[in-house]
Amino acid sequence: MQPENFYYDNKIVRNFGIATVIWGIIGMTVGLIIAIQLYHPGANMGNQYTTYGRIRPLHTNAVIFAFVGNAIFMGVYYSLQRLLKARMFSDVLSRIHFWGWQLIILSAVITLPLGLTTSHEYAELEWPIDIAITVIWVVFGWNMFGTIFKRRERHLYVAIWFYIATFITIAVLHVVNSFELPVSAFKSYMVYAGVQDALVQWWYGHNAVAFFLTTPYLGMMYYFLPKMANRPVYSYKLSILHFWALIFIYIWAGPHHLLYTTLPGWAQSLGVAFSIMLIAPSWGGMINGLLTLRGAWDKVRDDVILKFMVVALTAYGMATFEGPMLSLKQVNSIAHFSDWIIAHVHVGALGWNGFLTFAMLYWLIPRIYKTELFSKKLASFHFWIGTLGILFYAIPMYWAGFTQSLMLKEFTAEGMLKYPNFLESTLQILPMHMMRSAGGAMYLLGVIVMAYNLTRTALQGKLVANEAAQAMPLAPVHTIARESAWHRRLERKPIQMLIAALLVILVGTFVELMPTLTISSNIPTIAAVKPYTPLELQGRDLYIREGCVNCHSQTVRPFRSETERYGEYSKAGEFVYDHPFLWGSKRTGPDLAREGQKYGNAWHYNHLMDPRLMSPGSIMPEYSWLLTQTLDTSLTVAKINAMRTLGVPYAPGYEKVANAELDKQAKAIAANLGADHIKVKSDKEVIAIIAYLQRLGTDIKANKTANK
Amino acid sequence: MFKQFTENINANQAYLLFSLGIFFVFFIVVAIMLIRIRKSHVDHMSDLPLHDSDTETPQSLQL
Repeated sequence: MQPENFYYDNKIVRNFGIATVIWGIIGMTVGLIIAIQLYHPGANMGNQYTTYGRIRPLHTNAVIFAFVGNAIFMGVYYSLQRLLKARMFSDVLSRIHFWGWQLIILSAVITLPLGLTTSHEYAELEWPIDIAITVIWVVFGWNMFGTIFKRRERHLYVAIWFYIATFITIAVLHVVNSFELPVSAFKSYMVYAGVQDALVQWWYGHNAVAFFLTTPYLGMMYYFLPKMANRPVYSYKLSILHFWALIFIYIWAGPHHLLYTTLPGWAQSLGVAFSIMLIAPSWGGMINGLLTLRGAWDKVRDDVILKFMVVALTAYGMATFEGPMLSLKQVNSIAHFSDWIIAHVHVGALGWNGFLTFAMLYWLIPRIYKTELFSKKLASFHFWIGTLGILFYAIPMYWAGFTQSLMLKEFTAEGMLKYPNFLESTLQILPMHMMRSAGGAMYLLGVIVMAYNLTRTALQGKLVANEAAQAMPLAPVHTIARESAWHRRLERKPIQMLIAALLVILVGTFVELMPTLTISSNIPTIAAVKPYTPLELQGRDLYIREGCVNCHSQTVRPFRSETERYGEYSKAGEFVYDHPFLWGSKRTGPDLAREGQKYGNAWHYNHLMDPRLMSPGSIMPEYSWLLTQTLDTSLTVAKINAMRTLGVPYAPGYEKVANAELDKQAKAIAANLGADHIKVKSDKEVIAIIAYLQRLGTDIKANKTANK
Repeated sequence: MFKQFTENINANQAYLLFSLGIFFVFFIVVAIMLIRIRKSHVDHMSDLPLHDSDTETPQSLQL
């Protein structure tokens, strides 16, 4: 047999690399802006499109799907071709993938500041973009499997299994978490409601971390680390165990995001048990990576790329040890909703994802440009400023999380809350938030220096767009001896590998999701809980548009410190009409589950106009535009109809009178405000959002009164 | 500290036992797979990333 000559496509790798750096800088800059807004609300520039609630999702989407996403494709397109000894299946598909992905990101940059959001964390993009994501993801998979089918290496290296598992699991997660009923071109309601919606969302959210931020990066670690250290992976058998154990266990752990909520107790316990088991495969992978450097530690001293890798692996180890600890109920009761979680995810994002990406870029770019890195000194500077940045980011956030949580839980000797005003705890941690933004700025500076360094590197070299290579074609399968070992056979059968990975992730998915989604007795209904009035529904959609859920939770956990502060703990039956659920995951401000009727309408009006009028020192942004913008009631009919389709019991024909009802309720609120000398027209947005806030949690209060 | 977990099981033991069973079977299958893999194959696989490099490419083929 004659060896075949072919060319690797380096141009697509370069393009994804450029996109990684540009979106990385943009995503981190947005992160810095919102970090500053948390102690200086005026940093939103008085503009609704740059206010925290709307651009916090822009930050998370940009760093996850734009920065990390493009880095994944860069790493996969580089390593896949070389591990399979084949050019990518189709240059056209590669280009569609690249430009399609960039357009999706661009659409996020436009729609999220406009307030077009589903409010599902890390899945905020509205339904048309969800469809585009699905199409482009299929293009990616098609291109990947096309390449696998025309490969010149019979067995698939462990990195490729991680890529396959990433592809299939993200597809399942994205589709299941995107069941939305469109109301208009850019507005939809989640099909699931309340506790079911929460379960689906956190099954998605947790596993998006697993299969977008972890498995593709582990695959890239298994390829790039041996290349960088010039020695094979420490234990290939351990990598097999790592792969199967990780994808099997990860999928079960989602409910640890919902501890002490109204999710059925057994599902919470199952999530905790699997979260703790998750230490084993995670650390197995980390140890496998670190031990790959055995005998090469002297290189780490000189080689900045290996330094980045060592910190990345260490951060991965810290985050994956901390994760299971955080899932213990006792720890979770303190950490959840606090800045501790922000510290935890940033150790993972800045350390593991960020540093591994930088190592890949510093390794890759000089190679595909056939040159040396422009400046090792600048790269070294990047390493140190980045590492310091992570420390300055994480340590103050841990401190802030502990401080605030303990303050909120503290009682006086008389049994009263020591800090009854939530704001006291907020003001206490402002210095920590200032230090955090300094840490973030240091990290961002490092990335900008890297961008300069890589640009100069590219300018001094010349891109080898098509890199020549040579390999023997694969012999026909019938000529190879029958392989007795199962796994060896599996390694040369990509479709079987795909199906095996799919089955492994579906087992946990079914056991966890199905009972809560299908057995109605798991969600006890409450007779007093009624559907939202049209005005409240519109107000709720404004609440979603403004991203209030990013700072305010809507679920009271059954702790005395919370029932004293907020009121009766939340029940599953209270959320049955909540498409989508709005429990939130962070309390930058107080919980709002029982906000209804706590204050008068005038208080809310003044508070939305300028929070500092009512709560001096508050860090909440001013929502002055709600006072002047007119409520759009053109979709009321469509919204009522959509909700009825989803099972909300609006009477037949109610949609016809909905806007009249809406007017009536709005006029009553405007008249009530008028009595407090606030002149406002009843058609302004602020009226709707006040109606919604005044409704929150009152169904149960009404129930209590009725029972007396 | 495990009281919370045992108290929450109630009538839903079936889910938990099924999960434990699946977990157990899964790891036994993976262990058997690992034991059956030959050393020579492991060496071949772990060398894959190291022998794909551009340095092997003959200069005459460079574009």
